[in-house]
Amino acid sequence: MKIRRVIVDLDPVPQSRAVIEAAVALAGHWEVELVGLFVENIDLLHFAGLPFAAEVGTALASRRALNVASMERLLRARARAAEQTLASIAGRAAVRWTFRVARGSAAVELLAAAADADLVIANVELVEAREVPVRVRVIRAEDADALRAALEAEPEGIVVLAGKDAARVGRTLRRLAAR
Amino acid sequence: MDRLPDIRNRALAASRLCRRCDPASLPFATTDELEDLPQVLGQGRAVSAIEFGVGIGHEGYNLFAMGPEGIGRHTIVRRYLERQTPRRDTPADWCYVFNFETPHRPRALELPAGQAAGFRQDMAQLVEDLRSGIPAAFESDEYRARQHEIEGEFNERQEQAISTIGEHAREQGIALVRTPAGFGFAPRGGDGVMKPEEFQKLPEPEQKRLGDAIGVLQEELERALHEVPKWRREAQRKLRDLNRQVTHTAVDGLIEELRAKYAVLPAVKAYLAGVQEDVLDHAEVFRQPKDGEQPTLFGLPMPLPETGESFLRRYRVNVLIEHGGADGAPIVYEDHPTHDNLVGRIEHIAQMGALVTDFTLIKAGSLHRANGGYLILDALKVLSHPLAWEALKRALHSREIRTESLGQALSLVSTSSLEPEPIPLDVKVVLVGQRLLYFLMHAYDPEFGELFKVAVDFEEDMPRADGSDLLYARMIATLARHNRLRPLDRGAVARMIEHGARDAGDAGKLSLQMRDVSDLLKESSYCAEQAGSGVVRAEDVQRAIDARVSRADRVRDRLQEAILRGTLLIDTEGARAGQVNGLAVTQLGGFTFGIPHRITARVRLGSGKVVDIERESELGGPIHSKGVLILSGFLAGRYAPNRPLSLAASLVFEQSYGGVEGDSASSAELYALLSALADAPLNQSLAVTGSVNQHGEVQAIGGVNEKIEGFFDICQARGLTGGQGVLIPASNVKHLMLRHDVVAAVAAGRFHVYPIATVDDGIEILTGMTAGSRDATGQFPAGTVNHRVERRLTGFADRARAARPGEQAGRRRPFGRRA
Repeated sequence: MKIRRVIVDLDPVPQSRAVIEAAVALAGHWEVELVGLFVENIDLLHFAGLPFAAEVGTALASRRALNVASMERLLRARARAAEQTLASIAGRAAVRWTFRVARGSAAVELLAAAADADLVIANVELVEAREVPVRVRVIRAEDADALRAALEAEPEGIVVLAGKDAARVGRTLRRLAAR
Repeated sequence: MDRLPDIRNRALAASRLCRRCDPASLPFATTDELEDLPQVLGQGRAVSAIEFGVGIGHEGYNLFAMGPEGIGRHTIVRRYLERQTPRRDTPADWCYVFNFETPHRPRALELPAGQAAGFRQDMAQLVEDLRSGIPAAFESDEYRARQHEIEGEFNERQEQAISTIGEHAREQGIALVRTPAGFGFAPRGGDGVMKPEEFQKLPEPEQKRLGDAIGVLQEELERALHEVPKWRREAQRKLRDLNRQVTHTAVDGLIEELRAKYAVLPAVKAYLAGVQEDVLDHAEVFRQPKDGEQPTLFGLPMPLPETGESFLRRYRVNVLIEHGGADGAPIVYEDHPTHDNLVGRIEHIAQMGALVTDFTLIKAGSLHRANGGYLILDALKVLSHPLAWEALKRALHSREIRTESLGQALSLVSTSSLEPEPIPLDVKVVLVGQRLLYFLMHAYDPEFGELFKVAVDFEEDMPRADGSDLLYARMIATLARHNRLRPLDRGAVARMIEHGARDAGDAGKLSLQMRDVSDLLKESSYCAEQAGSGVVRAEDVQRAIDARVSRADRVRDRLQEAILRGTLLIDTEGARAGQVNGLAVTQLGGFTFGIPHRITARVRLGSGKVVDIERESELGGPIHSKGVLILSGFLAGRYAPNRPLSLAASLVFEQSYGGVEGDSASSAELYALLSALADAPLNQSLAVTGSVNQHGEVQAIGGVNEKIEGFFDICQARGLTGGQGVLIPASNVKHLMLRHDVVAAVAAGRFHVYPIATVDDGIEILTGMTAGSRDATGQFPAGTVNHRVERRLTGFADRARAARPGEQAGRRRPFGRRA
């Protein structure tokens, strides 16, 4: 098993924290570079550009109007937060890391990143539905056996779908790192 | 002049100057042969008062042991209390525990003696067990399954609501977009959201349709999201119920065990029920977070009321007082009776710059420790510590101990503090103090009499009756043994007994100053040790007494030296009119000594006033002034009953600069006055003490032994002539316990002690002339002292009348009006 680079999806931060920690542990274990990727969802920018764009907040259950500028600000803030989180976690583990921001569809960007890395840990859903490049294999994190097999066979272009239970995914990945 | 025969035959015999204790009368060789004295010597009144006070169980029968220092009040009280304690039950243990209903009022728990420590241990173990038992219960598969079920139900409900709306949207060609903080709606275009440029290209009606539809969907979403908090609350409630159920199962078994153990103690059982409820309410505290993760609910960190350790303090047991291993009632002596040391205190700890406290910081006071037994306190110390007396009275009145800080008691501190539940008080307090304190407190504090009904009055001395010498010897033997001193031979005991009588200032009494007796025993034993003797002999005791005197008599030596060098003028031979040797006694640091003073009188014609120079110069106290005024009464009554007393006399203690108090010099002053009036010289080789009344009777005074010895020392230093001596009131003869050297000098006829009953006796000895009494014609015989006095006073009266011509010429009218 030869892994050279791990990419971790940094959005959204609160849920992905356990995943980031696991990715840091993996990168530390394999002594490889960790790339934190934050994808600015293009759909959100399209949405914010519409004349009636408004967000209904889940906490306050009320509407507020949005425009492109405010959406960009929001995304920038989230990217900053993501970078800080990565810095704090990776900094503790003394792992070589970089941070990258991409704009587009999260699924597209992550799949594209897989062409350039050995392991991508993604938080998005529905990647499977897309057209997956030939060299890329998409595996659900719950399927630990498939993941292990893939890593042992040819550790290249693997996209792990974290799913909803970030803590559980974290545990799976850490167990993997501990082997 | 009417001369008297030799006055020396009026002197006392040497045998009457000191009541010796004959060593031969003591039926033992050394004190080792004597058994310990089981009873307290000479304190019958005090002992029966203690027995009464200790025995009576009613409220307010606390004791006040009064008497001077060194009598052995503490020892005797303690000895009697120690006899009582085994007869009484060992009191209960007391703990403070958390009050789950009102946390600022910790609850007091009573446990049978010796069980508090075990209970504390049991509670600590329970908490330990809960800390492992509760997390274990939450680790079970059943719990996880039910927790996921509840969470799943909530998530499903939420997602379903949102996906229904998403479905509505899709039907209308609109996408539900997840934004950073919520949701939004946008027209669909391709895989995702329609680009704004594309939207602008749509026909206007289509744009409007989409806009309206999105508006409706937004409202719909708002309504749906409004419901979410309610669903969350519902899920939280379900989860709480589940947690409670799980905790219940874990806690029940553990607490049930303790409940069974303490089934006979309803208060403890009730407390354990409280613990159970509280643990159920705060089960999350016992669930240790794993791997640094905080427990979460729906992905959000769950708040903890307080962090583990500090929160768990509430289940601790503060054992305030425990009597494990004790047998019977406690006896506590509090030597520092401050308010806090009596009623206990509430300590604080600094936390983030603030002072905080809880029930574990309540500390017991001596009232707690003595509860169910006896508390001995020094009255003066209690009174001299702020609010200690008030706190003691309050506790005794209310029969409960209320622990509060001084700041709280004075309402000075307003920070929140604790109000621990009061603990019922059943204690017998013994205050130990001087008599003066007892009388003052009785007079000025109305509550005192109510709370301290038993006065235990200790005697300073005991009668020296038949058999008492032997009892005293046994007491000495007991003290020597208790202090691990050398035994005393009978000579030493006899000397100790004589010293006891001298200390009492009375040949018929023996001092009960136990501290003094004990100290002298130690010092005598030391002297014996220095002399290489295995037993203490009479000479060792004497050496100890002499050493004691020589350590303390610097001032006396200086005064005697001043007299011997002629700085202080005292004659010890010759005769002089209007001048007499008076005797004063001084007490300095526990050492008492007598010293002679020259008293002089001058007389002249005047208005009947005897001027006391001491009083005029404010060097004389009121009792001294009273003595001088009595002299005027005596003079007028005896010598000038029918004429005005036309005398002006002045009396003074020569070379006295420190003030004079007492009336023991009034007879001396009278002799000086009579001598001046009669112009009859007084014998300067004699000194005088005694007070006098208006009838000329000489009355008893204090310190007679020291006074005689004071004059004797001066005479001896100058050389005893055989004519020197001291006049003392006849009523003081029974008090004589003079030093052996004085007695020896008297026995050899070189010094004399004259007992005096009346002024006439005294003046005869001092002048060597007959005093004289009125004959059948009412006149004093010519040549007697009294006759000369009367003649002088009559002469003054005649001259006074002659000096007032107006009275001879008849009464003058007021304001010069004439008839």
